[in-house]
Amino acid sequence: MKSLVLKDLYNIGHNAKSLVFMLAILTIAIVPASGVGGYLVMCIVLCSMMTVTTFTFDDMAGWTPYALVMPVTRREVVLAKYGVLAVFSTAGAAFGLVTGGVVGAVVGEYDLSMSAIAELAVIALVGWAVAFGTGSIAIPLVFRFGAERARILLILSYLIPGALIAGVYGLLQMAGTSISHGMLTALLCASPLLALAWGGVMYQIACAIFARKEY
Amino acid sequence: MAAILEVKDLTKRYDGFTLDHVSFQVPGGCIMGLIGENGAGKSTTIKAVLDLIHRDAGTVTFWGQELSASSDLKEDIGVVFDGISFYETLTPAQVGRILGAAYRRWDDGLYKQYLERFSIPKEKEIKGLSKGMKAKLSIAAALSHRPKFLIMDEATSGLDPVMRDDMLDVFLEFVQDEEHSILMSSHITTDLEKVADYITFIHQGKLLFCKPKDELRYQYGIVRCGAAAFEQMDKADILAWRKEDYQWDVLVPDKEKARRLYKNVVVDDATIDDILLLYVKGERSK
Repeated sequence: MKSLVLKDLYNIGHNAKSLVFMLAILTIAIVPASGVGGYLVMCIVLCSMMTVTTFTFDDMAGWTPYALVMPVTRREVVLAKYGVLAVFSTAGAAFGLVTGGVVGAVVGEYDLSMSAIAELAVIALVGWAVAFGTGSIAIPLVFRFGAERARILLILSYLIPGALIAGVYGLLQMAGTSISHGMLTALLCASPLLALAWGGVMYQIACAIFARKEY
Repeated sequence: MAAILEVKDLTKRYDGFTLDHVSFQVPGGCIMGLIGENGAGKSTTIKAVLDLIHRDAGTVTFWGQELSASSDLKEDIGVVFDGISFYETLTPAQVGRILGAAYRRWDDGLYKQYLERFSIPKEKEIKGLSKGMKAKLSIAAALSHRPKFLIMDEATSGLDPVMRDDMLDVFLEFVQDEEHSILMSSHITTDLEKVADYITFIHQGKLLFCKPKDELRYQYGIVRCGAAAFEQMDKADILAWRKEDYQWDVLVPDKEKARRLYKNVVVDDATIDDILLLYVKGERSK
């Protein structure tokens, strides 16, 4: 599986310069206007979306049949894509925290107090969870429809979790349960774990789809 | 010698095409050429053998084991497809690192030797390599984890005659070890005439024959004759025939017998191309 992840890192690494340049421009454009938090989430989501781009590279090169004749199972091929999603989401969070924090501090959008750092850390965790959760839906979609056709359907990967969260929130309100500030903070901090659990479900679906694919 | 690959009643159905109960064996220490016209089912056979498509019927075993039974079995199999399979911004050095992380027996020294032998620059992006270089890189990558069985689907089609000859030498070296074998599909039948020990001919999804190449070269013949001579020929002695502008070309399984029986006709040696053309474009005895 290491080789599969390494291949995607090399493939994307070639485009890393342009991605970093674009994110740097966005830092300057977004942070002074909208703050560090919004930029940070956007940074993580944009980086996580590179996972879909790796599928495009695979399709162009005819990689997948080659991967399947290597000593890996189909499940490992799928798992590697989730691994790559986690790596890209984490890299996006790290990059966003550093560049957003620096630019935010320079333009006065952000102070270096403990509460501000803690708030940014929570936003990074939530951003990571959003990116991993949505990316987890994108992977089975891409396995099913191919990278290009799935791009149109990727909106689903945002709508489905959004609708689920809104639905749960609505049910809680109907039941008269209010969420305290502490509970909300705990939920937000635990969101990466929820995203991982969600990713586990999506991984099983992606495996079932990929098992039927022919090359 | 025990079979390295055994394909039994391999069947795959698509709309408009069926790979129909194909069976053959690849013994150790040999090169088997897989021939057939475009769309005959060669690539489908290779894909089904490699579990890239689901079989509708039949079994495929390597050293007696199904490929799906153990991914470790793939350590012993090298595959070269028609095309490089790696994205064009990668370099041969990166390809080596990727495959080195995949195969337990990956031999980086051997890979570098192949790169040098084939004059492939290690740090040049794949998109800057010629088609021939890419084909050679694929072959180097397939050989460097020290497989025992090599499967190639039109792997040499991008190479010029000089490069192809170099590659054929590599393949012959590879099968010097009796535990090694190669299954290669190719349209370049002259290459197969040089190196193959067996020829498997698939036509319209069906196996026409799987025979030692020497039997085809030394026993099969083409009778060139007129209509009258053709009418006199015993149809039991004929495999296939084709009417050309001024003569009949008739494929016979025993050219010496044909020379003895039919004195007033020309009997030429049959090349694999001749055999393929007569089977595909000619008519066949029932």
